[in-house]
Amino acid sequence: MATKSEKPSYEEARDELAEIVESLEDGSATLEESLTLWERGEVLAKICQEWLDGAKKLIDAAKKPAQ
Amino acid sequence: MFETSSQSPAPVRLVSEAIKDYIDRLGPIWIEGEISELNERSGGMAFIRLRDTSADMSISVMCYKTVLASVQPLPANARVVIYAKPSWFTKNGSLTLSAKEIRHVGVGELLARLEALKEKLAAEGLFSADRKIALPRLPRKVGLICGRNTDAEKDVVENARRRWPAVQFEIREVAVQGAAAVVEVSAALAELEANSEVDVIIITRGGGSFEDLLPFSDESLVRLASECTTAIVSAIGHEKDAPLLDYVADYRASTPTDAAKRVVPDIAQEISDIEKIRDRIYRRLLSTIDYELNQIAQLRNRPVMKDPGLMVTARRDEIKALRDRSMRSFTSILEIEKKELKGVKAHLRSLSPQSTMERGYAVVQFADGGIVRDATKLKAGTALRIRVAKGETGATVTD
Repeated sequence: MATKSEKPSYEEARDELAEIVESLEDGSATLEESLTLWERGEVLAKICQEWLDGAKKLIDAAKKPAQ
Repeated sequence: MFETSSQSPAPVRLVSEAIKDYIDRLGPIWIEGEISELNERSGGMAFIRLRDTSADMSISVMCYKTVLASVQPLPANARVVIYAKPSWFTKNGSLTLSAKEIRHVGVGELLARLEALKEKLAAEGLFSADRKIALPRLPRKVGLICGRNTDAEKDVVENARRRWPAVQFEIREVAVQGAAAVVEVSAALAELEANSEVDVIIITRGGGSFEDLLPFSDESLVRLASECTTAIVSAIGHEKDAPLLDYVADYRASTPTDAAKRVVPDIAQEISDIEKIRDRIYRRLLSTIDYELNQIAQLRNRPVMKDPGLMVTARRDEIKALRDRSMRSFTSILEIEKKELKGVKAHLRSLSPQSTMERGYAVVQFADGGIVRDATKLKAGTALRIRVAKGETGATVTD
């Protein structure tokens, strides 16, 4: 996977998060790797949540003046 | 004719007589037009103003009332064919056609001619569907050709404004019946066609007699309309009327109100449509977001993400299990070893000379520990160790 120095798109973040959960569940990673993966997963989950909450807010804001 | 100059001008009478001379030589001709004025003076004569049906031109005609009587009563703007001879009146220098015969061009004949013209234009492809121009969805300006202060004009303007308040009109009020109609409608049409801001042109007039509507079947006007690159809506007369303009128009409206409906969209409908579309967009977006939120929540709720301590505890448990296993196996090894040791000890004991010595035997050893088995190997003075059941002692060989 490419290095994620910039904020990834929603889909990139979601897909990477799903991959991380999968590798954590399959349990083949070392403890150290697992910790790194989990931390990355937390960051990605937050990014996804931010994207979605932001999108919802935008739509709510756009809806108000129309009604 | 004759030579004239500023020094020797010809008198009026001579000139007028000469013109009369010339005109009298012209023979009688058949001529068609419509009667725009009719004066039946006292006396035996009637005076007619005969107008061209397409161009703004007219000529005066006179005849005996008896000639006119054969076609009376005539409708307004009646079309007639006249057999007449041009006459010059020297008294006031006017040219008049003296009619010898007048024939009314009746509705039947006009209809037949219209039918023939319609077929001719159709054969040229002027009415074909692929010549029709689509009406603009929202025109910048609407050209409107109509009569002065007519209901048709009001109907179009008011209905269009009601539907789309910002509609802009370029209105040309012109004659919509009689001989001037073709000229004025054509001029207005050409002008609006040339105006690049006008995206659609409505040509309208209310109902009228068959003859009133004839200008809208005029060949020159119909051809002009067919060549326009601006979309044209015709709304002439009532539903039953079908002037040839209807066939070349891009949309034939049944009434002026219908024409207004066609040229501008209904703002209330547009707003409601847009609202509906926006609502659909919002609903769709929100359901996508909800779906994704759920996906993310599911990922976050998976034990590996929700309870990162599991990473450690799982491993701690693993270690504990291993330790337990190792303890267990170590203990069992110890037990086995212990048992084995006991066996070895018993065996060892069975092999030991102790029990033999308990019965009174002794073991004699050299100083180096070697056991004495052969007395010949002993000399006097050899140091010995003697082991008995309980303890040992040193000894020396004496003989």
